Amino acid sequence: MMTDSQLLTIECAGVTFPNPVGTASGTCGYGLDLKDLIDLNKLGAVFTKGLSAKPMRGNAPWRIVETHGGMINAIGLQNIGAKTFVAEKLPELRQYATRIIPNVFGYSIDEYSEAIRILEDGEGIHAYELNISCPNVKEGGKSFANDACQAAEVTAAVRKASSRPVIVKLSPNVTDIAEIARAVEDAGADALSLINTAIGMSIDIHTRKPRIGNVTGGLSGPAIKPIAVRCVFQAYRAVKIPLIGIGGIATTEDALEFIIAGARLIQVGTANFYDPSATMKIIDGLAEYCREKNLNNISKLVGTVEA
Amino acid sequence: MSTECPRDLIATVERNDLFASTPQSQNKSRHYGFLQLRIPQAQTILPGQFAMLKKHGIYEPLLRRAMAYYRVTRHDGSTSVEFIYQILGRGTESLSTMRVGDPVDYLGALGNTYDVQATKDKNALLVVGGVGSAAVFMLAEELLKQGTPTRLFIGGASRGDLLGYDDFVELLGKENCISATVDGSEGERGFVTTPLERHLQANANKPTVIYSCGPDAMLHATAKVADKYQIPAQLSLEAPMACGIGICVGCAVAVKHDCAEGFVYKKVCTDGPIFWHEELHW
Ligand SMILES: Cc1cc2nc3c(=O)[nH]c(=O)nc-3n(C[C@H](O)[C@H](O)[C@H](O)COP(=O)(O)OP(=O)(O)OC[C@H]3O[C@@H](n4cnc5c(N)ncnc54)[C@H](O)[C@@H]3O)c2cc1C
Ligand SMILES: Cc1cc2nc3c(=O)[nH]c(=O)nc-3n(C[C@H](O)[C@H](O)[C@H](O)COP(=O)(O)O)c2cc1C
Ligand code: FES
Repeated sequence: MMTDSQLLTIECAGVTFPNPVGTASGTCGYGLDLKDLIDLNKLGAVFTKGLSAKPMRGNAPWRIVETHGGMINAIGLQNIGAKTFVAEKLPELRQYATRIIPNVFGYSIDEYSEAIRILEDGEGIHAYELNISCPNVKEGGKSFANDACQAAEVTAAVRKASSRPVIVKLSPNVTDIAEIARAVEDAGADALSLINTAIGMSIDIHTRKPRIGNVTGGLSGPAIKPIAVRCVFQAYRAVKIPLIGIGGIATTEDALEFIIAGARLIQVGTANFYDPSATMKIIDGLAEYCREKNLNNISKLVGTVEA
Repeated sequence: MSTECPRDLIATVERNDLFASTPQSQNKSRHYGFLQLRIPQAQTILPGQFAMLKKHGIYEPLLRRAMAYYRVTRHDGSTSVEFIYQILGRGTESLSTMRVGDPVDYLGALGNTYDVQATKDKNALLVVGGVGSAAVFMLAEELLKQGTPTRLFIGGASRGDLLGYDDFVELLGKENCISATVDGSEGERGFVTTPLERHLQANANKPTVIYSCGPDAMLHATAKVADKYQIPAQLSLEAPMACGIGICVGCAVAVKHDCAEGFVYKKVCTDGPIFWHEELHW
C-alpha cells in the first residue's frame, strides 16, 4: 500500500510540500500559536499572519463579527513586523517539518520590497505570499489587487528583490479575476493564491451602526466558498502557474472541490477558529480519497473538473 | 500556578437547566442557562479562565462562544465543569438546546488567571454583575483557602439576575455578600458600586484589592471607584472572540504603552482576559 506521504507529496512553485494542506494567513498567527493543538510536523505549510516592514498596531475594536456561514473581520493587519518575525518566531518555527511561507504586505511598492529585504535574511523560509489587497497609498489608495497594472508592478518589484518563489494572493473583489491572474503571471509570479476575503458589511438594526469599527471588513468562511471555487476555476483556465485554493475550506470534501477546480495546494482559514484540527483531518481525508479512487498521487486530481 | 496547554475535546452535557428572571415592573424576561459538562480528561483549570464551547456537529452558528468557568470538580480521569450563560443571540440559543448526553466541542482551559498573591495580607472585594459572577466563584474559593478576608458585591436587574448568589452566600456567609438590584427585589435598590463605595469610605485604612467581572458599564464604574480610592483592581474583560487561542487577533483591547500613541493592542484571549485596571487605555 502507498504511504500517505507518497500519495500527498506535491510540488508547487518550485517547492516540494509534504501534502497540499496549509493554514491561511491571519488564521494561524505565526504558526507556533497552533503548536499545542495540531502536529506542525504533519502540516503541509504555514502561511503566516501578514508581515510588513514595520510593526502595525491594527484597527480599533470591534474587529470581528459573525455572520451567516462566516465572519467579517477588520483586524487592520496588526503584526509584529518582518524583523521581529525573523528574530523571534522563525528560529522556533523552522524546527518543524512544515513549509514556512511568510505572507507579506505594504502600502507602497517600496514597503513590499523593504519587507522582502528583511525576510531574505531569514533562514528556513520556503517562499513568500504577497497580500496585494492593500491600498496603494502612493497611487490614490486603490488596492493593488484591483488593477492589473499595479498588481503586475508590485509582483515584478518583489520578484526582483526575492531569491525565493513568490506567490501572489488575489482578491475576489474584482470584475475579471482571469485578467489579473494573467497580468501577475506575466510579471513573474511563481504561483497564485486565491482568494482573499470578500468585502462585506453588517449592521446592528437597533443601534443602526455597523457591527465592526472599520464599517466594512473581509468576509470569510463557508459563505464565500462557491465564489472561491469559481475564482480558482477561472484562473486555472487563464494561467499556467500553479494555484493555491482558499475560501471556506473546513472539510476534506471542501478541499477536494478546490483541487478538482484547479488548485495544487489549499489553505484552511476561518475553520481553524472553530475546528483547530481541521487541517489534520483534511490531510488524512485526502490520503483516504486517493486510496479509494486509486490515485497514486493527489496531483492527478488537479484541474480535472469536467466542465 | 502553571497553566496547562489547552485541549480540544468532545465533552458531554451532564446538566443544562434553563431559568428566567423578570424584574418587577418590567414585562421582559432575561433567560439564563446553567450548564454542566463532563470532560474526558483530568484538567487543571485556574480561576478566571474560560473555555470555547459549541454544540458538536452544528455549523450555524459557526464560531464557538467563550464561557468563564464557574465551578470545577475533578474526578478520576475526568473533570466536571460548570458554566452560567445568558441567552442573548445565536450562540447561546444553540447552547440552550443541548440535552443531557449531547456532545459538545470544548476547547479549554484558556486565558490567564487572577493574581491571588496580590491580596496577601490584604482584603479582597469581588465586584460582579450579571453572568460576570461566574468568573469569580473559583477565585473566591482560592482566596478563602489563602485566608484572605473576602467580600462580594453582586449587582443585577433583579433577584433572579444575581447569578450564583446562593452559592456565594454558602461559601462566604451572608454577611459577606452585599447585593444591589435595579428593581430593589434583593439588597439595596440601584447599582452595586454604591454599597462598594460606602464600604471603601468606612474601611479607608484597610489595604484592599478589587476583582471585578461584569458588563462594560459596571467595569468602567468599578475602575473609576478604584482610581478614586487608589486601590488596585483586576478586571476580567470580554471581547468578541473568534478563536480564543490568539490566532485571529479579533479580541483587541488597548493597553497603555510607552510609545507615541500611548497604547498598543493586546489580545483579551491570551494576554487576558484579566488585566489590572491601570494597564488599560480606556
Ligand atoms: C472571556 C469571556 C468569558 C465569557 N464568559 C461568559 C459567561 O460566563 N457567561 C455568558 O453568558 N457569557 C460569557 N461571555 C460572552 C459570550 O462569549 C458571548 O459573547 C455572549 O453570550 C453572546 O453570544 P450569543 O451567541 O448569545 O450572541 P451573538 O449572536 O454573538 O450576539 C448577540 C448580541 O450580543 C452582542 N454580543 C456578542 N458578543 C458580545 C460580547 N462578548 N460582549 C457584549 N456583547 C456581545 C452582539 O453584539 C449582539 O447584539 C464571555 C465572553 C468572554 C470573551
Ligand atoms: C481574521 C482574519 C485575518 C486575516 N488576515 C490576513 C492577512 O493578514 N493577510 C492575508 O493575505 N489574508 C488574511 N486573511 C484572509 C485569509 O487568509 C483567507 O484568504 C480568507 O479568510 C478566506 O479563507 P477562509 O474562508 O478559509 O477563511 C485573514 C482572514 C481572517 C478571517
Ligand atoms: S479570540 Fe482570536 S485572538 Fe483572541
